[in-house]
Amino acid sequence: MGLLIVTVLVRILEGMFVIGAIGSAVVIVLTGIEDLKMLLGREEQNHS
Amino acid sequence: MSSFPPTSPWNRVRIVVATSVMLTFISYWRAAAIVLNDLASSAFYACGIAEQAVGKSAPWFIVAVMLFSFAVRAVYVESCSMFVRGGVYKVVKEALGGTLAKLSVSALMFDYILTGPISGVSAGQYIVGLLNETFVTADTHGWIPRAVHNLYNGTPHLNVNLTSVVFALAVTIYYWWENTKGIQESSEKALRVMQVTTVMVVMLLGWSALTLFKSGYHPVPLPTPANLHFSRESLGFLRHSFPEQSLAKMFGLLGILIAFGHSVLAMSGEESLAQVNRELAHPKLKNLKRAAVVIAIYSFVFTGLSALLSVMLIPDAVRVPVYKDNLISGLAMYMWGPLLLRLVFRAFVVVVGFLILSGAVNTAIIGSNGVLNRVSEDGVLADWFRLPHRKYGTSSRIINLVVLLQILTILASRGDVYVLGEAYAFGVIWSFTFNSLSMLVLRFKYKGVRGWKVPPNVTIAGTEIPIGLLSVFLVLLATALVNLATKSVATVAGVSFSVVFFVIFTVSEHTNRKKFALAKQQMKDHFQLLQSDTVGRDLLGIRAGSVLVPIRDYNTMNHLRWALEHTDTKEQEVVVMSARISQFGSAAYGLSTEQIFDDYEQTLFTRAVSIAEGFGKKISLLVVPARDAWSAISQTAHNLDSSSVVAGVSSKMTTAEQAFNLGTAWEAIPEPKQQFLLQIVHPNGKVDTFRIGPHTPTMKNEDVVLLHRLWLNITREPGLENLHHHDILAEALTRLENDYSAAGHEDIVRDLRRNADAGPMPARRIADQVHTVQSEPSRNDGEVKHGDEASSNPEATSPK
Repeated sequence: MGLLIVTVLVRILEGMFVIGAIGSAVVIVLTGIEDLKMLLGREEQNHS
Repeated sequence: MSSFPPTSPWNRVRIVVATSVMLTFISYWRAAAIVLNDLASSAFYACGIAEQAVGKSAPWFIVAVMLFSFAVRAVYVESCSMFVRGGVYKVVKEALGGTLAKLSVSALMFDYILTGPISGVSAGQYIVGLLNETFVTADTHGWIPRAVHNLYNGTPHLNVNLTSVVFALAVTIYYWWENTKGIQESSEKALRVMQVTTVMVVMLLGWSALTLFKSGYHPVPLPTPANLHFSRESLGFLRHSFPEQSLAKMFGLLGILIAFGHSVLAMSGEESLAQVNRELAHPKLKNLKRAAVVIAIYSFVFTGLSALLSVMLIPDAVRVPVYKDNLISGLAMYMWGPLLLRLVFRAFVVVVGFLILSGAVNTAIIGSNGVLNRVSEDGVLADWFRLPHRKYGTSSRIINLVVLLQILTILASRGDVYVLGEAYAFGVIWSFTFNSLSMLVLRFKYKGVRGWKVPPNVTIAGTEIPIGLLSVFLVLLATALVNLATKSVATVAGVSFSVVFFVIFTVSEHTNRKKFALAKQQMKDHFQLLQSDTVGRDLLGIRAGSVLVPIRDYNTMNHLRWALEHTDTKEQEVVVMSARISQFGSAAYGLSTEQIFDDYEQTLFTRAVSIAEGFGKKISLLVVPARDAWSAISQTAHNLDSSSVVAGVSSKMTTAEQAFNLGTAWEAIPEPKQQFLLQIVHPNGKVDTFRIGPHTPTMKNEDVVLLHRLWLNITREPGLENLHHHDILAEALTRLENDYSAAGHEDIVRDLRRNADAGPMPARRIADQVHTVQSEPSRNDGEVKHGDEASSNPEATSPK
């Protein structure tokens, strides 16, 4: 029972990590493109 | 506190409170250099700690963390682009509530305080490692005297951890004293350190590439669960439940997460980005993003690649046993080439390590001081901590507290970088996690202006879902939770520290709440605060040519008395100004009006008004937030078109140095700008007067004679009979300028240097030319009525 709870908790943590890592990779790509445009002087506005 | 009699609401004292900090703005290169002084210092110890914890594939996790730091810096860019006022506590409180905000600040403090000990001890490890290696080399050549050899029963050897502790204590105590005296965080120094570091990084990478080509390399095992080899310590509380090597295989991905958690301190220092934000020059957001790109790329290249290279080039037999705490030194020793050259390069690595790591010790004290000052301004730490030092005016009580905690940490660590690194990671990951969580919550709660948002964002049914922010937060939270289980020492130390600070914050807040209610009522009774972004004459209702009187300590107001005594306030207004200094490390967010004008300013202005009433004269009151007092005074004098500034004597410097500092700040103001007088009043009533800005220099008698002789000779030439003395001077200066601009200007510099050496030192010369004004000067026309030699050395006002 104890191992089962631990396993569930670990799987939740792993899920958070994997989903977060995929999303963070997207953040890195998108901000990387934005940075490149900025460095090349073709920046778009992103104001709220 | 207040000496005022009860006042009617329409008779309150008007005080203009400027809310925009008066800063000397810096370029994004300098901002990046300040952050990298902290961030890049991690390269010296992060990989060694990670490899001890997870095994030989650690460099891949360091690379992964450095890649992930690109996403974390995006969160900090969004956080900096929000226009919010209040300290880090107030902002987090708005998002997460008081309890989590206090925990967040505690974690941030843990991060800042640990930066000092780990950097100091790590620098010590590099230095002692080099000394011991040098002893071995010297001994093999027979250069160690027999007596020394006998004393050590062999090759001399220093106890690495003990000596590192002594070194770290020495550096910490040195910077404690410097901070107590009030040193300025210099972007110039940070830039120089990063330039030297860049030279080392280029040499390191270039030489490593050559070594890989000439000598080959050891492959770095891929970061798969099968390749993870955890030590017992690296499993923390889990070591009681699982055998070390089976855990990763049992859970697979959990092993990757644990290893990632052990490498996360490689991106420590990223939070400094928020601290330099407000000092960035216009266009702020663009420069912030540029600085963030420079920081991310630099740290990825330095920390990530040096970690990979250390495993590729240093043999397994010595990497962890010998070089675990000075891995870059080990890298230098296993380059391709002669031993002497490698030793020289290692010495260079140690020098750079000393510069950057000891700088990080200083940054840690400054940062902790800044955060605690702001927390105190937020009302969560008793004002007692923030009371200025009697002599130096610094928040010495906070500095003492921070340094005391750092010294205790250094002693408790016994020079063990691994233990310090594990504890440090706790502060780093939790402060990042709280920051990303508050940014996430503020996406829904805060509807004000935002300069930029972390992408991607998807709008569903009119609600914007911050997918990017959420993703970064998930990774940080998962890592922080796993670290709680796997870093037992860090968890115990971090939780204990946070609980202690949490209690201090809670008790202080409770005490301050009562006190603030009383102070607020008194303030309402006596003062009317007029908030303004900038300072201008219209707002104060004054004319050009006013007298600006900066005040700081209510016990030393002689200069205000002198100014009031010597000024006809019907003709010329007297503006009394207090600069509210924002410490470096506290400038992530602006201060609110109540924070700028608080208890201390109330006492200060109450005293100033009492003095003015004693003279029967009216004064205008002004509070400006600033990074340093000199910028605040010069910018305010400039904005108000003041004709003179009347200041008190500093306890830290001579009057000539005060003028020099004000002149330096004046130089930073963009044109057009006007000159003004600086009058420094001594306690005995003596006054030193300086002109700030370019002005006619004082000429020695022999120079005047020389000029006249030249004029006599030249006017004998046909066609030059009508020449004036100033024409001769103009010609001479034009020729000097041309010669100085030419390639061979060394002769001029050498001659000037010789003259300087022959005469008094520059500071002395400035002091010599100070004209002491005993009689009453008229400031109405902005001139000093004491002849030609009026304290006008350009070196006092135009430093180079």
